[in-house]
Amino acid sequence: MYSVLILILIPLISSILAFVSSKKWAGIIAVGASLISLFYFLILISGFNAMHEMTNNDSFKWIPGTSITFHVGMDASSIIMSLLTLLVIPLSLIATFTKKEEKKSSYYGLMLLTLSALLGFFSAQNPLTFYLFFEITLIPIYFIVLMYGGVERKKAVFEFFIYTVFGSLIMLGGLIFMHYKLGANQILDWSNLYYFTFDLNTQYWIFAALFIAFAIKSPLFPFHSWQVKLYSQADRQTMMVIAGILSKMGVYGLLRFNFVFPDALQQLSPYLIPLCIFGVIYGALIAWRQTDITKLLAYSSLSHLGLITAAILSNDITAQQGSLFQMFSHGLVAAALFFVADVLIQRTDEQSIMASSGLAKDNPRIAVYFFIIVLASIGLPMTSGFVGEFYMLWGMTKVNIWYGVLGGLTIILSAIYMLRFYQKSMFGEAIGNNKISLPLRLNEEYVFIIVVILVISLGVFPKTWIDLSKFAVSQFINVKSNQ
Amino acid sequence: MLSIVILTIVATITLYLGFQKQRGLIIPFGLLGLIFSLFCLVNNVQLWNEWMQGLMSVDSISKTISIIILVAAIFILPFFNLFNKRGNEEVGDVTGLFLFSLVGIIMMVSYRDMIILFLGVEIVSIAMYILAGADRRKLSSNEASLKYFIMGAFGSAILLFGIALFYVSTGTMNLDKLTNINFSSLSQLSVLIIFCGLAFKVALVPFHFWAPDVYEGTPTIYTGIMATIVKIGAFGAMYQFITLGSGFIPSWMFWLISFIALASMLLGNIMALGQTSMKRLLAYSSIVQAGFIVIGFINITPQNAWQVIYYLVAYTLASLVCFFSIHFIEEQKGTDQISAAENLYSENPFLAIVFSIALISLGGIPLTAGFMAKFFILNNAAYNNSITLVVIALVLAVVSMYYYFRLINMMFTNKINAINWKIGWMYQFLFVILSVLTIAFGTMPALIVDWLK
Repeated sequence: MYSVLILILIPLISSILAFVSSKKWAGIIAVGASLISLFYFLILISGFNAMHEMTNNDSFKWIPGTSITFHVGMDASSIIMSLLTLLVIPLSLIATFTKKEEKKSSYYGLMLLTLSALLGFFSAQNPLTFYLFFEITLIPIYFIVLMYGGVERKKAVFEFFIYTVFGSLIMLGGLIFMHYKLGANQILDWSNLYYFTFDLNTQYWIFAALFIAFAIKSPLFPFHSWQVKLYSQADRQTMMVIAGILSKMGVYGLLRFNFVFPDALQQLSPYLIPLCIFGVIYGALIAWRQTDITKLLAYSSLSHLGLITAAILSNDITAQQGSLFQMFSHGLVAAALFFVADVLIQRTDEQSIMASSGLAKDNPRIAVYFFIIVLASIGLPMTSGFVGEFYMLWGMTKVNIWYGVLGGLTIILSAIYMLRFYQKSMFGEAIGNNKISLPLRLNEEYVFIIVVILVISLGVFPKTWIDLSKFAVSQFINVKSNQ
Repeated sequence: MLSIVILTIVATITLYLGFQKQRGLIIPFGLLGLIFSLFCLVNNVQLWNEWMQGLMSVDSISKTISIIILVAAIFILPFFNLFNKRGNEEVGDVTGLFLFSLVGIIMMVSYRDMIILFLGVEIVSIAMYILAGADRRKLSSNEASLKYFIMGAFGSAILLFGIALFYVSTGTMNLDKLTNINFSSLSQLSVLIIFCGLAFKVALVPFHFWAPDVYEGTPTIYTGIMATIVKIGAFGAMYQFITLGSGFIPSWMFWLISFIALASMLLGNIMALGQTSMKRLLAYSSIVQAGFIVIGFINITPQNAWQVIYYLVAYTLASLVCFFSIHFIEEQKGTDQISAAENLYSENPFLAIVFSIALISLGGIPLTAGFMAKFFILNNAAYNNSITLVVIALVLAVVSMYYYFRLINMMFTNKINAINWKIGWMYQFLFVILSVLTIAFGTMPALIVDWLK
């Protein structure tokens, strides 16, 4: 009875329970269901042998009239990202318990639907299943933001939705084209696609269609205009999921598909990588001048994702390995930073970074946890951020020294804006707001402790994860060299 | 054949019951008649088939379409009761007309002789002209009826002209006896004109001008009939003409069809963007959907007709929910402006959820039938080497996503002090079935596709 389909169905079925139950129970059901999914997942992968390509395959006939199947399964990169999903969503659900009265049971139901869709997305084993989950992940998140968040949220989420749907329909066009080029009787699993080579012109078209979709979803530099509005208007607990996991969907997709168009990638990467690196510096410089916490985090996310994309596009195995690791690490850290923002904003009722100045004196525990998370975001050694960034920069330097040098600016710049954020919000003159000295609640403490343990342990013992991500990105190369 | 006879008899008795003021009986009796007729159709009861003398023939596709129409009618008929509640006396008349129109549609989809096609079209159209004006105390309803009548009569005349030319150029009215195939200019003209006449009935660009005005004025439930059942009938007729007369259709027709599909999608989308009335919005959106369906006609054969029929099923399921939801909103708020749907989630969460599922399906998001339908059509078009058409259709689908989700955006709010209102449990039940079918067909398309094949 160990199958990935059941892993997807557990949150789906419990979401129905959460929808119909009362406000009080819905939260407990949601946390319970996500933790059950986490344990089920751990049991599922406990027998995983990295030498085998996939585990727990489930494949069903899906679309009649074609050979397209519904295919989910776990391979190395699925495992890393599914684990991230199953860690961040329970944390965000626990975080909602602080102000539980604001959330109705529909919030928890929709969150479980998101969890289900994300697990499906990360375990999808063929392009059409991938597309299916890519698009439906949007729906529950759209409704959550529509109902919970700031005053301007409707406009923000509508823009986000239309942008992303535009991208995903372009992607659908690319996939239909790819399917057409393969011929009617091909089964389109990743493992089958490894053996297939398209001609250069086809590769260009497929690459253009998919890259636009992923660039919008991540977002990357020229397509980021929806990001700041959404990040500053959505509810912070929802943002933990959006910034932590949803923003990784685009780069994950790029990593998944990069073997489909290797030649196009080779031709275009000298133009696209500088664009990504420009986005890295641009995002960091704007983040430096922000006074709104959520906007600062939005631009910091833009900057980090630019580097991850550049690493994937460089087509170097070390860089890609680092990018997969960094997706996990940044997902955790971004979620944690939005959690910090939530903790601070609940105490000050303002989104300004100056509003909580002097908090370290009243609440040293928050300051300490926050400091560790900031260090991980900067990428200091012994935290998870360091390992990923080191591998990415190392790999990119092998391709072109300038990529490494300019990309390396991210460490300096992120140190500047994150430490500025930390200093302004934690130290300085106390404003004298009584609510600031409110001690950490139990659920907040749990979230902090779990995040800090994960961040440090990943930084100190990264070997398992590095090996797993190396295996994930080298599958394709192994197949090609055996041919 | 028997099913048509049963429907005619039931419709006549319904009219009679209306005269006798037995209004409580009318809808249950009509439903019973529909179910009985459906039963005869499904079980291939062969009674009186020899009477048709080759004028009509129930093949597998026309049988499938007829079954879909009758099932849709079973979902529509209970909503006629709402009209009754408002103190209107016409329930007997409108039910009778509705059942007569079903007879016409079954004739339209299973004709072999062009005269039967014309008869079917006329039976449907006349019933629909009257239904459009059913709310006779409202000026807009009268206006809609008159407009629909004038434009529809024009369309029927064009169709008849085409049929006459068809007879002149081939020497027969019967598609089965079509032996004298030539591509004389007269026969090419007849094909073009018959196609235009049918395009009138489905409101494809450039024959769409009547649709928004008529949709807006007609009582909303009858608009639902116009947008679903009548369109299925006209597409069925188009299918029969294209497949049976396949040797007769000149190849430039398919270029024309692609052009009409593109024009419908483009113009419908652009016009829908600026609408403030929900019914007009759905009128333009139905033009877009018709354009999408017509893409499937470019290389239609009996083997891949199931893709078009699947689209029709998905479209019918979603459209019915949309129009019925608008009916309830209109009842409550007195207007069908988009602003009437604001805060719907706080006032009536049930209606908001089913309405948004229907809109999502019309937009074509995965896991709903609308996505699968679009995927089938586009995949087929791609294999037919029309990649350009696929790309344009996808870009235009984004535009349609904009106005569907603008509506959803308005509905979902967390207003605390909203006035709650409810709809009857029977209607809720029907809504739930329609929505569950939308999702079930979208998640596991094999459920219905195996039957359609």
